[in-house]
Parts: sequence; structure tokens; C-alpha cells
Amino acid sequence: MKHLPKHLRPRWRYLAVELECWPDSSVDRRAFQRECWYAGQNLLGDPGGARADLSVLQFQFDATAGVGEALVKVRHGWSDEARAAIACIGEIDGEAVGVRVNGISGTIRAAEEKYLGRRGQDSEERHVVFGNEERVAVVRDGSVDVRLDAAFAGTTDLDYDDSDYDLA
Amino acid sequence: MYEAVHAHPDGQSTVARLAKTAARFGFEGVVVRTDSSTRAEFDADEVSAAYDIDVVTGVEIDANSVEQASGAVGNHRTDETIVTVSGGTPAMNRFAVENEKVDVLAHPMTDSGDVNHVLAKAAAENGVRFEFDLSGVLRTHGGRRVRIIQSLRKLEDIIDYYDAPYVVSATPRSHLELRAPRELAALGEQIGFSKSFIEDGLAEWGHLAERNRRIQSESFIEPGVKRGRYEEEH
Repeated sequence: MKHLPKHLRPRWRYLAVELECWPDSSVDRRAFQRECWYAGQNLLGDPGGARADLSVLQFQFDATAGVGEALVKVRHGWSDEARAAIACIGEIDGEAVGVRVNGISGTIRAAEEKYLGRRGQDSEERHVVFGNEERVAVVRDGSVDVRLDAAFAGTTDLDYDDSDYDLA
Repeated sequence: MYEAVHAHPDGQSTVARLAKTAARFGFEGVVVRTDSSTRAEFDADEVSAAYDIDVVTGVEIDANSVEQASGAVGNHRTDETIVTVSGGTPAMNRFAVENEKVDVLAHPMTDSGDVNHVLAKAAAENGVRFEFDLSGVLRTHGGRRVRIIQSLRKLEDIIDYYDAPYVVSATPRSHLELRAPRELAALGEQIGFSKSFIEDGLAEWGHLAERNRRIQSESFIEPGVKRGRYEEEH
């Protein structure tokens, strides 16, 4: 079909969303898209969810570090509603997730340039002493996620003395 | 704006990690309200300096009986900047609002807890803040969330009429559960609170901390009396 004349095309806003999980969580674009739509539907209802749109246009996720970012398309004038819905995403596929809207732009390129691709994603494994026991931890930019028996603990390099850090 | 967090071992992340994330999200401070039975060990000044964010020590008293809670409030009042009491039963809610040593009555509407005009008047008189706990709105859905939103709306109606003080928190137990102030304000608007209502509630933690620090400082002797240089006449 011939595309619409410019004045009839819907106007969009693009939300740059940053995601954070515990290390080794697998979150894919499809799961994130599903959670976005569910969150929109649950908070805004079917009509609100339909009008806000909330389609995921871009998605990157680094599973070893547990961080990622996404670009979500929202109808112009619905960015506050979309922001509220995205804030309600607490789990993706059963993995706990932290989300934050980094910024909003009127074009995809502006959102990419201003708000995406800025997080240092270099992560490495270290051995640390946490709770008097030696543990494996994933270190990224001063943040240290310690692997406990069944869960993780979120710490930073400030929580360790030199003698408890990097024992490998 | 401040956020009141549960830190390890009460929650999953340490004070440092919560402070680091909160600073990046644009909070001015965090209030560490760890359960009174499990103390988080941290150096507030060190964390505060490292991440450029105010770190306020506090405690959340979660007692089975009023007597136990009363003892705990007395024990912690002198050491901690902010003392919150975990509500959720009629007896505990009543105890907290009638005790002027308590700063905040946390999650008063959970479980069998409820708030009425008597409690609101007592809270306004004693300066006890009701907490609007947004964690249920953020992290549940369906029928449970409907009831939580209804209870928050009811609380807002009552405290608005009696002009009772309040605070707002998302009650994060890990850095993943933290949400930025703008997100909380946007969420508040969806459930019927204005943006300024949420922002004032988040800022109120900071006002509380500032007031209590002044009272607990050595120069403070009693209301209206403090040690220091006398005020110059203008």
C-alpha cells in the first residue's frame, strides 16, 4: 500500500531504556517485548496499551554482565504513561530486572546518539570474600555481583578490603 | 529526593550498591532502613563520599507486639537518624502514630492494617509520617494490585483532609528494584496522585533526616535552645 502523506503519519517518541539483571540471566528481545506489552496492558488497560504502542525497536543484552539497553517506540503524548508502564516491569522470563528510562527523543537517531551505547560493558570474574566465604563475583565498572549458593548479592568494590578482593 | 531502602542482609544488595545506583538515578540521598534484628554494617560517610549521595542511617522496627516495638523504639531512637515502624496491624498502626519518637509508619495499609480519621489526627499531632509504599503497585498485578491501589487512594483521601505528613517510597530490597524519581512520579500519575505529591513524598525523607540530625547534634539542647553564637541583630 502507498505510504501515508506526512501530515497523516503518527508521530512517535523513542524511549531509551536501560536494563540490569543479575549475571548470566538470559533475556531476549522477544521476552522484553512481551513484558512491555503486558505491563502496558496491566497498567493502562487494553485501550491505553494500544494507544501507547510500546514496540521494541532495538535490543541489546550482554548476558555475562547482565546489562542491556533497548529502544521503545511510543506514541507522541504518551511518554509519561509509557514510562510508568515500563517502571512496572520487575521480571523478564522470571529473571529479576531493573529498568530505567535514560531519555526520550523524537527520532531514532537522536535517541541512539544521546542515550544508547554509553554503558561500559567490560565485565570480568573475580574471587572475593563475602560473608566470610570465598565467592565468585562478576565485576563491571566498580559494581560487584557476588554469586551465592542460590542467589546473588549486589555489592561494589567499596565493600571489600584489599585482602578480600581479587584472590585468584 | 530520597529513597528508603532495605540493604543486605535484610535485602539483596549492600548499602554501597544501593547508594551507587540511587545516585545514578538522580536521588539526592538514601535512607537505610534495615530490619532491627539484622544490622547492616557500613560506613555511611565513606559510601556518601564515594558516590556523592547522602546516606542516612535508620532502622525499621518489625515487632510482634506493641511492648516489643516500644522497647525497640527506645533502644534505636538515640543511635539512628530515622526510626520507622513496620505497620500492617491495627495495634501496630495505632502504637506508631501515637508515639512521637517514631518518624515514619511504614506500609500502614498492608495485611490487616487500616487507617482512619483517629489515626490521621494522631499522626498529624505527633508528626508521624504515613508511608505510601509503591512496591505493591510496581511489583504485583491483577486483583492484588487493584486492592493495593484502592488502599493507597483511601490513605491519600484521609491524610489530605487532616493534612497529615507523609513519605513515598518504592521500598527497594535490591538495586534492581530501585526506580528513578521520574518513573515513580509517572506511575503516581497513573494511579491518581499528582506528580508533585510523589516528589514531595520522596523529598520528605530528606527533610526528616535534616531535622533529626539537627536535633541529635550536640549543639541542640531543647526546642528553641541551641548552643552556638548568638544571632546578630539586624
